[in-house]
Amino acid sequence: MERVNANWRRTLLRSSSVILLAVAWEWGARMHFVSDFLLPSLSSVLTRLFEDIVSGDILVGLGLTMLRTLAGFTIAAAAGIVIGITIARIRVIRWFFDPVVSVGNPLPKIAFLPIFILWFGVFDWSKIAMVAFSSVFPVVVATWAATESVDKYLLWSAESLGVSKRQLLWQIVLPAAMPQVFTGLQIALPISLIVVIICEMTMGGQGLGGSMMTSMRFADSPGVFSGIVAIAIVGSLVVKAMELIRKRLLVWHEENAH
Amino acid sequence: MTSSGISFNGVSHTYRPPRGRPVLALDGVSLEVKDREFVALLGPSGCGKSTLLYLLGGFMPVETGTISVAGKTVTGPGPDRGVVFQNFALFPWKTVQQNIVYGLEKQRMPKPEREKRAQELIELVHLEGFGDSYPSQLSGGMKQRVAIARTLAIDPLTLLMDEPFGALDAQTRTLMHEELLAIMRRTPKTVVFVTHDVREAVYLADRVAVMTARPGRIKEIVDTKPSTGSRAEFIHTQEYTEKVDYLWNLVRDEAIKAQGEH
Amino acid sequence: MTNNVVVRYIPLLLLAILWEIAPRIHFVDPSELPPLSAVLKAWWSLLLDGEGHTFLAVFFKGSLWSNGVSSFINWFFGLGGAIVIGVFLGVFMARYQTFDDVVSPLVKALYPMPKSALIPVMILWLGLGAGSKIASIGLSCLLPVILSTYNGSRGVEQTLIWSARSLGATDRELLWEVILPSALPEILAGIRNAVAISFIVLVASELLVGQHGLGYLISFLGEGGVYDAMFAVVVTVSALGFAADRAYLYFMRRTLIWRE
Repeated sequence: MERVNANWRRTLLRSSSVILLAVAWEWGARMHFVSDFLLPSLSSVLTRLFEDIVSGDILVGLGLTMLRTLAGFTIAAAAGIVIGITIARIRVIRWFFDPVVSVGNPLPKIAFLPIFILWFGVFDWSKIAMVAFSSVFPVVVATWAATESVDKYLLWSAESLGVSKRQLLWQIVLPAAMPQVFTGLQIALPISLIVVIICEMTMGGQGLGGSMMTSMRFADSPGVFSGIVAIAIVGSLVVKAMELIRKRLLVWHEENAH
Repeated sequence: MTSSGISFNGVSHTYRPPRGRPVLALDGVSLEVKDREFVALLGPSGCGKSTLLYLLGGFMPVETGTISVAGKTVTGPGPDRGVVFQNFALFPWKTVQQNIVYGLEKQRMPKPEREKRAQELIELVHLEGFGDSYPSQLSGGMKQRVAIARTLAIDPLTLLMDEPFGALDAQTRTLMHEELLAIMRRTPKTVVFVTHDVREAVYLADRVAVMTARPGRIKEIVDTKPSTGSRAEFIHTQEYTEKVDYLWNLVRDEAIKAQGEH
Repeated sequence: MTNNVVVRYIPLLLLAILWEIAPRIHFVDPSELPPLSAVLKAWWSLLLDGEGHTFLAVFFKGSLWSNGVSSFINWFFGLGGAIVIGVFLGVFMARYQTFDDVVSPLVKALYPMPKSALIPVMILWLGLGAGSKIASIGLSCLLPVILSTYNGSRGVEQTLIWSARSLGATDRELLWEVILPSALPEILAGIRNAVAISFIVLVASELLVGQHGLGYLISFLGEGGVYDAMFAVVVTVSALGFAADRAYLYFMRRTLIWRE
């Protein structure tokens, strides 16, 4: 009984910061400590968010943003995994990509944005290309490292059981490398979201980032705040979704054992 | 010199996991360790022998019963009780020398003296030439020798050892046994030594306290001091083999009980 | 040794040659990809386009240097502030259970937020100047630093703390001599993440609004259609980002020399 109480207290304590922040936001805005423009009240932001959801505005924006993110991310994931594996297995490819990756990985890719606009225009393709370019490197690096670090005893046992070279890649190397590859994907996806929002803010073309920037230009502060709340929610959902997929995909891995 | 006996008096301990039911880990343990005596706590894994050592170290609060060292009740960790852990617990960012002098710094010993003392200890544990190495550059046996030297540096009254050789390979372990006995001959201390290795306990200890499976109690205390001759000869005697057999049978029952719980 | 380095970077040399030749033979449109030599020439003139009579005046008033300095200031204060505050909060959270209970749900809820979304809010609050950029960078970098410090300080091996205690360390000594050094590898890794994020947010916020900084220079030149100069600034920013990461990596290896 005592323990139950203690647990309740803990839960209450843990949610207190969020509740406190929400109350302080609402109260502070209502008391006009700062102007409505700088900090619209929480209730007006939530109302706005609700209205935008009902009217469908935000769903269109959300759809566009997610479409661009996932398109770019999928290209990055596919290309990154293929490049990563071939780097680890084919010598010429490694010779070429090793310096390219080690220089390319730490570059602030976002600086290339105007170049991508120049090459691909301001519409969806440049955004998708920018997302793919920004998020491909972590996938390549993770896949490369994962493929190279597959346990040699695992490979030896497979070979002695009569597995062919081709089967070795698909049935042994890839599954064994999966946990690390997935970690690379989990790094790449948030980067994709960050970049897509920057692209939408600079180039427009709707989407969550674009409408936030429009709201800012029109000094529509509830719009800016409902935008950031929506983006924050999308960000957490995407991260959570990746964790769930990881759990399903890697049921066999020690990390999921209890 | 002060007497540094240890006495456990009706010590019980309940382990409360963050989730799940509390578990009684130790149940009314009473044990007297005399001054300069080497006592081994022997038992199956999970019997609470390490917990008993941590309580003695003062790392966890003693809730039921009392533990006292040299007549003083234990309330927290202190330099009168030196501890050696199985995983060495060396500061990885400090060199061998810096690890050894850490406790001396805390005692505000002047630098020249500190360095002299560190040199003596490095010689004592045969690590000449490794003073400036980092722990990551040493083998397991060398790391444990550094940990022993670091603990001996502050010259504690008692030495608490938590399966100190459990992470070492068989050859290294045997060498470390001899080395520990040699060190104890040069600087005798009261030692409480936790282990699940019967041979190790019989070889090193004056007395072995066998503990039961959870909840841990003292099942029996066996005198293992060789009746004649040195420890090195002891290992080849009939007496040694009989003691090992006897203790192994005591522990075996408890180990089977402990396994049945899982 | 030197020979190896040269051989290793031959692919980059090949790419550079390709960059020079492809536009020259009109394999690609030179207005979309100016040849490397043109970009380097544009870089040199951006470096020395300041007004003045002495070489130094020409250099220090040049577009590249003056915009570089404003970018550096935003970057330095944003990232520096995030590191100082982040390490402090992270340690504090790890040490005090109640503070942790209150703050960590907030930190964990905000951590996955795409950091770039903060930029418009900061512009709304702090205007178009340096303040909003420093704040955007600072807030974006804060969470990774807090979280890595927190995880690092909580992950300190129990026996290490016990050893220090039994050797006579006080609470304060425990923090400075055991917990922080022990958490250092993780803190430094978190800061490396923050460095990468800081460059993204810096360039993005300068591309979006403002009148100063290398990001601004890129968008200004791009809008004016001066593409060889725009490429020159992009290359400069990339080189700076790369150099920052490499310098940091070197510093990190030196600091963690005890690991191996």
